[in-house]
Amino acid sequence: MADTGSDAAGQLQRIAARRLGPQRARRRRLRIGEEALIGYLFLLPAILILAVMVGYPALAGLWYSFSNKMIGFPKFKFVGLENYRELVGEVTLREAVLRSFTYAGIAVSIKLPIGLAVALILNQRFRGRGPARGLVLLPWSLPLVVSVLIWSWMYNDLFGVFNFLLMKSGLIKVPLNFLGEAKLALPSVMLTNVWRGFPFFAINLLAGLQAVPDELYEAARVDGASRLQSFRHITLPGVRTVAMIVSLLSFVWTSNDFTTFWVLTKGGPGTATKTFPVVTYETAFMALELGKAAAIPVLLIPLFSVLIVLLTRAVSRRELER
Amino acid sequence: MISYRTRERLFRGLTFLSLGLVLLVVLFPIYWMLLTGIKPRGELYLPEPTLWTKNPTLDNLHGLFYRTPFAIQLRNTAVVSVVATMLAITVASLAGYSLSRLHFTGRDFMASAIFFTYLIPGTMTLIPLYIFLSRLGLLNSLYCLVLTSLAGGTPFSIWMLKGYFTGIPVDLEDAARIDGCTRLQALAKVILPIAAPGIVACGIFTFTISWNQYMMPMILNNKEELWTLAVGLAGLVYGDVFLWGEIMIGAFLMSIPVLLLYVLGQRFIVTGLTAGAVKG
Repeated sequence: MADTGSDAAGQLQRIAARRLGPQRARRRRLRIGEEALIGYLFLLPAILILAVMVGYPALAGLWYSFSNKMIGFPKFKFVGLENYRELVGEVTLREAVLRSFTYAGIAVSIKLPIGLAVALILNQRFRGRGPARGLVLLPWSLPLVVSVLIWSWMYNDLFGVFNFLLMKSGLIKVPLNFLGEAKLALPSVMLTNVWRGFPFFAINLLAGLQAVPDELYEAARVDGASRLQSFRHITLPGVRTVAMIVSLLSFVWTSNDFTTFWVLTKGGPGTATKTFPVVTYETAFMALELGKAAAIPVLLIPLFSVLIVLLTRAVSRRELER
Repeated sequence: MISYRTRERLFRGLTFLSLGLVLLVVLFPIYWMLLTGIKPRGELYLPEPTLWTKNPTLDNLHGLFYRTPFAIQLRNTAVVSVVATMLAITVASLAGYSLSRLHFTGRDFMASAIFFTYLIPGTMTLIPLYIFLSRLGLLNSLYCLVLTSLAGGTPFSIWMLKGYFTGIPVDLEDAARIDGCTRLQALAKVILPIAAPGIVACGIFTFTISWNQYMMPMILNNKEELWTLAVGLAGLVYGDVFLWGEIMIGAFLMSIPVLLLYVLGQRFIVTGLTAGAVKG
């Protein structure tokens, strides 16, 4: 009995030695070199893709913005700051840039309170809360083009359901041309954006709300705080960073949105819904002036860098909070 | 002063009322899409549309497949999305592992650089990318769409998986290495199964980006038979004839895979898979 026991132990030891011995030695000898090599090797495919598809184009865009490159003409020459001088003088572009940012600013300031309200509702305990959360997320989970197409059809001036409902309820006498009338077009596009975008706010703010410890609310209630007071002093500070991150992200996405505008209005009527992505597209692929079009996003780099710095800071603050 | 109980009841009533309103606003457009998709043509183009139909029909579906390039665009979108998703999760798993587990100079810089690429707006890279891909002769192909999907999907996936891997105890991996696994084996047999929820999430993210892409395919491919569903469906709006029935049933079909993935993906996320694996 004792014999077999020690024999088994010896065998185990031998196996362990066989396994660990060389392994340990190799690891020690090659530790730093091996690890760095594998590190770079594993990272290589990602770096390649991102360098070719994002890094290089971003730099090349800067390069082309100083040239008179046109579609269909392989030859081009450098024209210095000519593109920039032209662009700064163009009223259409100035208006488009201003329009993009006011549009995005207003859209975000509508989506944030609605999103917070919906998050507060979905944070209550009630039967069917799970399905309700899933349903609210629907507009955001649909493909962007699908939601835009639905709204385009509902806005239709001849057969759209909105005109029908508004006329039936007596709110309007004559059908409205939601997307064809200069004053209505931009708000109509924005409504589509709000419908699609507020669930993103709601679901992220809901996650923020859930991270606020219940004890805080209990303590506040014991101390006699009203619902409004605990909202003001516990809920709002609790979701502030999340709200900041979500708003910044949404602002960048909304001001850069091309799809919604192109599918709904193509920038029209006139210039009523021309935002800078639309102008960039038109300059590049309708006027065929690639060099000039490449300069438009470059002009906006300062602004987006500020946004990106703010965003990175907010994200790291959020990670510290966790 | 109203009693606490009454106030509480009032508050709950108001909550439910506003929830109902929110759900109505959220669901009506989706209902309208489905209804339009199954309405017979004669009922679609009336000055006073009906809010339901007594004669549901599959004519629009038939028209979509036989009178528009929907079928081939569906195939394009599916091929591009599946290929891009497979590539993206492979690339992102390797990179995420490297950035979370391995120590080498320049690692933190790489991590920030990758996060930074996620924040660069597509409008910025669009034109140089167009010139670049046209030089490579990749315009009017499905390859360029796989590439743009990868550019969109990998930065965020890497970032997410890096976080996931950091959360997995190093001891688990060390145990596998002591048992004789190489790094790649340890990654494949220990880390990846534990990180499965994260990988599924990255897969869903990339698939969605790829499936929904509109601006890139529209600009990079000018042939209908090389478009994705998003470009194809939006292209039906500006035709000579109204095709809203076909567009809406197509929009519904296009939404199904994405919505299914969201529902299945939520179920897949199992928390606490590693709970109790390491003591102390």
